[in-house]
Amino acid sequence: MMFPLYINAASSSDALTRSAAELIPAPDMRRRMSRVVKMGVCTAMECLSQLPEGEVPDAIITATGLGCLADSEKFLRNVIENDEQLLNPTPFIQSTFNTVGGAVALLSGNHCYNMTYVQRGRSFGCALIDAAVRVRLDGARNVLVGAFDETTPAQHRIMERMGAWRGAEDGEGSHFFAVSPEQREGTLARLTLAEFADPGETAAQVLERLGPDENRTVIAEESGGYHTCAARSLYEGVEKIRAGAQRVSVYSRYRDDSPLVMLLECI
Amino acid sequence: MRIAVTGIGVVSAAGNSAGELLASIRSGCSGVGKPALLDTVHDFPVGEVRLSNDGLKSLLGLDSRRTVSRTALLGMFAARQALEDAPLFSGPPHRTGLISGTSVGGMDLTEEFFREFIRDDSSGRLRNAAGHDCGYSTMKIAGYCGIGGFSTTISTACSSAANAVMFGAQLIRAGVLDRAVVGGTDALSRFTLNGFKSLMILDGSPCRPFDASRTGLNLGEGAGYIVLQREDTLETEPYCLLSGYANANDAFHQTASSAEGTGAWLAMKGALEMAGLAPEEIGYVNAHGTGTPNNDASEAAALCRLFGDRLPPFSSTKPFTGHTLAAAGGIEAVLAVLSVDKGIIYQNLNFKTPMEESAAIPNTEYSEGNDIRHVLSNSFGFGGNNSTLIFSAYA
Repeated sequence: MMFPLYINAASSSDALTRSAAELIPAPDMRRRMSRVVKMGVCTAMECLSQLPEGEVPDAIITATGLGCLADSEKFLRNVIENDEQLLNPTPFIQSTFNTVGGAVALLSGNHCYNMTYVQRGRSFGCALIDAAVRVRLDGARNVLVGAFDETTPAQHRIMERMGAWRGAEDGEGSHFFAVSPEQREGTLARLTLAEFADPGETAAQVLERLGPDENRTVIAEESGGYHTCAARSLYEGVEKIRAGAQRVSVYSRYRDDSPLVMLLECI
Repeated sequence: MRIAVTGIGVVSAAGNSAGELLASIRSGCSGVGKPALLDTVHDFPVGEVRLSNDGLKSLLGLDSRRTVSRTALLGMFAARQALEDAPLFSGPPHRTGLISGTSVGGMDLTEEFFREFIRDDSSGRLRNAAGHDCGYSTMKIAGYCGIGGFSTTISTACSSAANAVMFGAQLIRAGVLDRAVVGGTDALSRFTLNGFKSLMILDGSPCRPFDASRTGLNLGEGAGYIVLQREDTLETEPYCLLSGYANANDAFHQTASSAEGTGAWLAMKGALEMAGLAPEEIGYVNAHGTGTPNNDASEAAALCRLFGDRLPPFSSTKPFTGHTLAAAGGIEAVLAVLSVDKGIIYQNLNFKTPMEESAAIPNTEYSEGNDIRHVLSNSFGFGGNNSTLIFSAYA
């Protein structure tokens, strides 16, 4: 009902083809950005640059598990160490979770719907569901949906103490997609489903539930390194389709959160 | 498909329930004052909830030794009220969801943790860090209230709760849920108090929205939730309908609003279009009205542009509660619902002199029993995030 959606562009912070200076032309704005905000904004702007002229988003939806950690830590550290005196506001401003979404709107002069989901390992799935809802209920034609998360030494250490890195590796990244209700000339893949599996359901169990399929490529991420790793898994799935796969089943889970199951088909 | 409001719940500096909050407003009693519970060197007026964490845990039936962030405690308290206020629902648990907005998350506990952690990275109680993220409080609220359906957290600064109301309605329209508890929660923290101070938008006196002498906001805390329900599942008359909503981006600056209030105007216009209403049908506007020079001028410009010379009575209720950040849209949704239900036009405290920038003058007298069919509520956040909700009389 809510799907399929058509993925017309996809970008990864690991595979940017343009420089930060090209993607974020205003030098002051670029300089003030923290590493994660720059990563998220560059990836989002790269995705937008893949779309044909005139195809601008009518919804911008972002997801993050921990948001702009480095800025939060920086401001918090300053509050504690300076006894709440003489504080620089920049890290505080940059620490809000919708900073990336807001910056993309600012850079593209776009007044459209702009939302940010912060729900641990389900964040990206929620963003995808909102994208589907905007398309189906509100007639959105072009939704920019993506995610970003960073690792910092403090966060890594804290999670190490919590046992998070036994059986998983810390990671970070940003991935963005442009989705539409119908196929277009540049469509990369058809997203026929995105839904949460039950927490605790393994990739094997999900694949069995989906039924046998010899022509299916599987991406199974059972120990994702950051809350929004499902966006990276989707990107990997799109890359498989681009490389010739007919169908891709993607399962992506962060720790013990609900896994996200996404099905892709070639065009 | 129409979406009804069947329950309300709120905890704020001016009252620990909808009834108490309304009583404070009726008697003109603001909850803003010097911080008593928050451990800070500053003495800016704040809207602090008159319940300690132990007090909240006691009211919630939780062991005082349990580590729970204040944001989660406030949220649990208000969401429980909203569900208890709503009529019994016979649908299955997985058809009631929770959409909650927060910006502070567990930062109150993270501050405790970090104080020790930065001296020695093996110190600090891990339990204080485990609930740092925004999603944590939503999970606690859902677990405590037995909400089994789709739940998620929205964090778009000061428009979070309004956006949560919107997304809950969307999920009902999309057939994912029959009922949604929607709103937001934020606790005071040194992080946010100092953050707003560093931006120099805190007022050292009680805030004066839309007044020429306004110099900033008073930070507040609290939680506000309403229960949305699909009309065809109703068994009793609801408070009102949620008839329209919209979110738009100002795309002007990261924190400041454009002088013309473009994002605000687009959000209000979009909500009216969805509700199928002409501007003059609005009986009362609950403004975002933080009391900052920038917001109030920008919002007033948008109001005047939208309503022309038919500006309805409007006010900011933030002088009563403080600016509760991500909870504001939820607390103010509760007030908007009561406005439709009882014909209330709220007063804007501390107003004396109209702004130079605008002819817009807020309402300064409380009244009830007015013929109000439609109420519009604004919530605007950093990142140019502008949201408007419209509540309408049930007929």
